Amino acid sequence: MTTSEAGAQPALPRGRADRPAPRGHALAGKRADEPPAPGPLAASTRRAGGWRGAATPWLFQAPVLVSLAVWVYGPLVFTGVLSLLDWDLISPHPEFVGLTNYRQLVEDPEFGNAVLRTGLYVLALLPFATVVPMALAIMLWKRPGRASGIYRSLLFVPVMLAPVANALSWRFVLDPLGGIVNEVFGGLGLPQRDWLGDPSFALPAITLITAAKFVAMHLLLYGAALAAVDRRSLDAARVDGATEWEITRHLVVPQLARTTALLAFLCAVFAGQWTFTNIVVLTDGGPDGTTDNVYFRLFQYAFTFFDAGTGAAAAMMIVAGLALAFAVVSLPRRRRATG
Amino acid sequence: MPPADRTAPAVTAADGASSGALATAIPLRRQPMPTRSMTENPTGGAAAVRGPAARRDRRWWRAARTAGRHGVLVAVVLAMLFPTLWALNTSFKPTSDVYDSSPLPIPATLANYRAAIDAFPIWQLLLNSFVTAAGVTVLHLLAGVLAGWSFVRYAHRGQRVVSALVLVALVVPPQALIIPDFLLVARLGWRDTFVGLIVPQLSTCSLAVLLLRQHILTVPATLLGAATLDGATDGEILRHVVLPLLRPALGAVAIVVFITTWNEFLWPALVAPSPEHTTVQMGLQLFQNQEGPEYGPLLAGAMLATIPIALIYALASRRITDAFLHSGLR
Repeated sequence: MTTSEAGAQPALPRGRADRPAPRGHALAGKRADEPPAPGPLAASTRRAGGWRGAATPWLFQAPVLVSLAVWVYGPLVFTGVLSLLDWDLISPHPEFVGLTNYRQLVEDPEFGNAVLRTGLYVLALLPFATVVPMALAIMLWKRPGRASGIYRSLLFVPVMLAPVANALSWRFVLDPLGGIVNEVFGGLGLPQRDWLGDPSFALPAITLITAAKFVAMHLLLYGAALAAVDRRSLDAARVDGATEWEITRHLVVPQLARTTALLAFLCAVFAGQWTFTNIVVLTDGGPDGTTDNVYFRLFQYAFTFFDAGTGAAAAMMIVAGLALAFAVVSLPRRRRATG
Repeated sequence: MPPADRTAPAVTAADGASSGALATAIPLRRQPMPTRSMTENPTGGAAAVRGPAARRDRRWWRAARTAGRHGVLVAVVLAMLFPTLWALNTSFKPTSDVYDSSPLPIPATLANYRAAIDAFPIWQLLLNSFVTAAGVTVLHLLAGVLAGWSFVRYAHRGQRVVSALVLVALVVPPQALIIPDFLLVARLGWRDTFVGLIVPQLSTCSLAVLLLRQHILTVPATLLGAATLDGATDGEILRHVVLPLLRPALGAVAIVVFITTWNEFLWPALVAPSPEHTTVQMGLQLFQNQEGPEYGPLLAGAMLATIPIALIYALASRRITDAFLHSGLR
């Protein structure tokens, strides 16, 4: 072993000490410029030797790499190129227009509205992506057992429900003429409304319909995070006379901070995507564009107005926005880790 | 909660009431150390001094809390599932009673289902969905096992870059890629074909890769070491050691991918917009446009699109949630 190899022996990656140590240093916190230092169990690359040994991992990863290159990263680059063109998806001679598409988008009040509405969706869904599933997950985690397992299964169902069928069910329930929600509201003497057709209620309605999926998905992810929390520390706190609320507040919630930051980011990512189907099926962006979002707008530009360039420019701005959101979420963590 | 946890503090309290603080310490010491969480009543010692009234009070408080907890959970479950359950209920009512608000479909009828099947090629749509979902599932598992295995087994220069690419692909919104993906599929002549429906959905294979990697990480290192010492090649280890151990995880991931693909809407809407070639999700949307406000058959169609998934989930729900819970994905 050369010294450089010995130096490359990675410490356990931060925050993963509870996991089994990755064999062969897969994904370990290693600098890319250093040669791989196979441990005793990852001996195969060394044993096979030569280029064949070096090629083996790439062969195993080829299906994933090719798929992602062809269907994700290639298209991402191509979207960037498209965003500089004026093209109707059909004509053989797209025209290069530079940043015109971006300028038009920024000046387009409809796109501005869509951006604003997307932000509203994210903000409105944030509690359903963090606080609500966290509370439910802690509730289930504190009392493990049969009942918790059953609740967990039931609470995950919204993730599995077919979105179009689910949206149709909601449309029926919220139907202004004779839907059960209005029936019940009428019976209680509350105002009946055209929930999806009223500009001030359509966005909250779409938000609540989408919220179920967030609660369901994030409940499970919080559950996964809680599975790593040491229950014995809770018992110790109980012996010291801490109340359940104090234990939750000061012992459990702080350990979920990282997960919460991640799930808040996922909310920003998926709020737009998961509301998309509901918008298509239920409101078409209306009434008066009050339920519009950037994904729906992108879809309209590209496949209703056949303006590929503007659609691509919108896509690039979405990706840039997400990258920004990720930077905001991950920056404080990184600074703490390095500083 | 095991019964031992519940009775032990009560004993403590009785002793404490009669003979003071010293006595409370002794039965406490006799208790087995709690290995799992003692979820409630941690302050047995303190309450003991206050006697039976406090004990009754505490018991009442505990019952109220349990009831409240179940109340909250049941309410959340009902709020989430109500529209689907109500649609299921309505789909069995006669067409004239669609807006009837009785909670059970009496008399029940299959008229709506018959109408839906007559008006729309539902069976064809379900078959299309099944073939598409099965195809995507196979591809995802294949890609996931191979890549997951290589992440665990090999270290190489590009490792971190590759895993970052896999992770980032998870959050790149598919809507941002649809224009080029659509153009590519159109150029290849894959519109309205299964290949066009299935292959591009490899773009979402990251989840399978990550979940399977996490599960492969739990295979004991000693097992792999022993197999290596016995002269097994890496391919043989993967086939004969890792895959058999991975079977439960594979099942769970397969179900998740199958259901996700079954539920996919955007891509089928784009590449296969005709009712004969599309999946049941897009089919429902077309059906909605065709039927307008005719809810009976529409809801019956929606239920037909939901029932296969509901059955799979009912049979395997624990396996799915466990696959996520113990995945170490955090």
